[in-house]
Amino acid sequence: MPIGSDPPGIEFTQVSKRFQLQEGRTLREFVPALFRGRAWSPPFYALQNVNFRAERGEILGIVGRNGSGKSTVLKLIAGVTAPSEGEIMICGRVSPLIELGAGFHPDLTGRENVFLNASILGMSRKEVLSRFDAIISFAELWDFVDTPVKRYSSGMYIRLGFSVAVHSDPDILLVDEVLTVGDAAFQEKCLIKMREFQSRGVTIIVVSHSMGLIQDFCERALLLSGGHLLADGAPAEVIHQYTDLISHPDAALETV
Amino acid sequence: MDQPLPIARRHPIATTFGLRDFLPSFAVLWQRRELLWSMTGRNIRSQYKQSILGYAWIFVNPLMQILVLTFVFSTILRIGEGIIPYPFPLFLFVALLPWMFFSNAVASATDSIVGSASLVTKVYFPREILVVATVLSKVVDLLLGVLILLGLMVIYSEYPSWTLAWVPAIFAMQLLFTVGIALPLAALNLFFHDVRYLVGVVLLIWFYMTPVLYPVEIVPDKYKIFFELNPLALVVNAYRRVLLDGTSLGVERFLVGMGAALLTFLVGYYLFKRMEAGFADRI
Repeated sequence: MPIGSDPPGIEFTQVSKRFQLQEGRTLREFVPALFRGRAWSPPFYALQNVNFRAERGEILGIVGRNGSGKSTVLKLIAGVTAPSEGEIMICGRVSPLIELGAGFHPDLTGRENVFLNASILGMSRKEVLSRFDAIISFAELWDFVDTPVKRYSSGMYIRLGFSVAVHSDPDILLVDEVLTVGDAAFQEKCLIKMREFQSRGVTIIVVSHSMGLIQDFCERALLLSGGHLLADGAPAEVIHQYTDLISHPDAALETV
Repeated sequence: MDQPLPIARRHPIATTFGLRDFLPSFAVLWQRRELLWSMTGRNIRSQYKQSILGYAWIFVNPLMQILVLTFVFSTILRIGEGIIPYPFPLFLFVALLPWMFFSNAVASATDSIVGSASLVTKVYFPREILVVATVLSKVVDLLLGVLILLGLMVIYSEYPSWTLAWVPAIFAMQLLFTVGIALPLAALNLFFHDVRYLVGVVLLIWFYMTPVLYPVEIVPDKYKIFFELNPLALVVNAYRRVLLDGTSLGVERFLVGMGAALLTFLVGYYLFKRMEAGFADRI
């Protein structure tokens, strides 16, 4: 494909995500509310008119306080939820890093969980078999491969989850907060792996509260606050704005 | 990974589901069949790994039920005396076993999506896989229950005739019906957490309204209509017919049952798919 006409890895155009919060989650609350004619409360916007583009091979960080819409962005990219308004373009295969306790079943062994987790990500049994050694080696878990994962430490969980995700040939890798759980040596290894991915044109989205990680690792960062995209630019500037935001929360919306 | 790259897609999750979406979504399901097997395997292994007796529990529960129910309903209440031409435990278990499969499968499947919240909010795969895998994992209990049934047949020297060949067809009908009931319940359970309690109550009533403990012959005529409309009554009667009476099910009866099961499945699947887009938001 000629340079310049490359499709983006991810493109959000005027994306909003609206939630119709329910009055109650039980019928006892819901049915009376229905008769009063207000079973649904006013809509709540988790994201409002968000525009951004991530090129292929770009490492994009997303920062923001809890509830700012970061995980909604990840959910939209992963395709588990649809935008209420706007358009999302995703190129290629998305691999979220499936965290502790999600794909993993506590009573199953590391080996069994690798197969389960990989097939959730869309890998076939044959593919997993051919990469199994690489997955376990990368996670450094050869001694525990047949141990039930409930005996794993949280670091081991993350290593296995990360290893499966990076061995699934993603075009877009979603890295959640979890990366900060691993020890320094493993983090270093992940970063090297991610750099390698970047050179192969994999788009990486990093969501983290660790400003160090965003600063050192991302080429660009987004700042979300209350569902609005407040800043999109160099990590250092975005982090600066974010720290300002935390110290002066009331000034938040003025910058929109 | 077998998909050509890069693919640009817009809304990754379908927000609407119409009649023409049935076939493509079955095709996706077929593509992801390996995931269905992995999930089923996960459920089976995790179900019994924890307990000391492990798989032995699958035998303890039905055996106790046979003993207690036979004592209460045959010895004390003398149900079907002179009407049931074979020993009560056999009469009971031929129907109780498929009932337990249905009831356990529907009850567990109702919680299957809520129970996988952390997956559902992270990664997309056809969510019906969670429900179908839960139903399929109960087949293990069913197969082990068949061993008990064989034991009863040996004890009472009552062996099935060639009509045994109908069993896979009846089971296919039952499986389709079970999945068709479980799918919308699993989806609704996300929106209203009462659904699981409601399911428990409905299954209890359904159990007594299905001729498991008594022969359908002793039901007064004016109530027979309920039993003719109850698909589970058709299923348990069909098993008794082909396994105990040794009479053929009959193509016509089978087609009616299969038609009802297929319709239930399609309607259930449709309702499920209509609600699917909201799962990650509601969980």
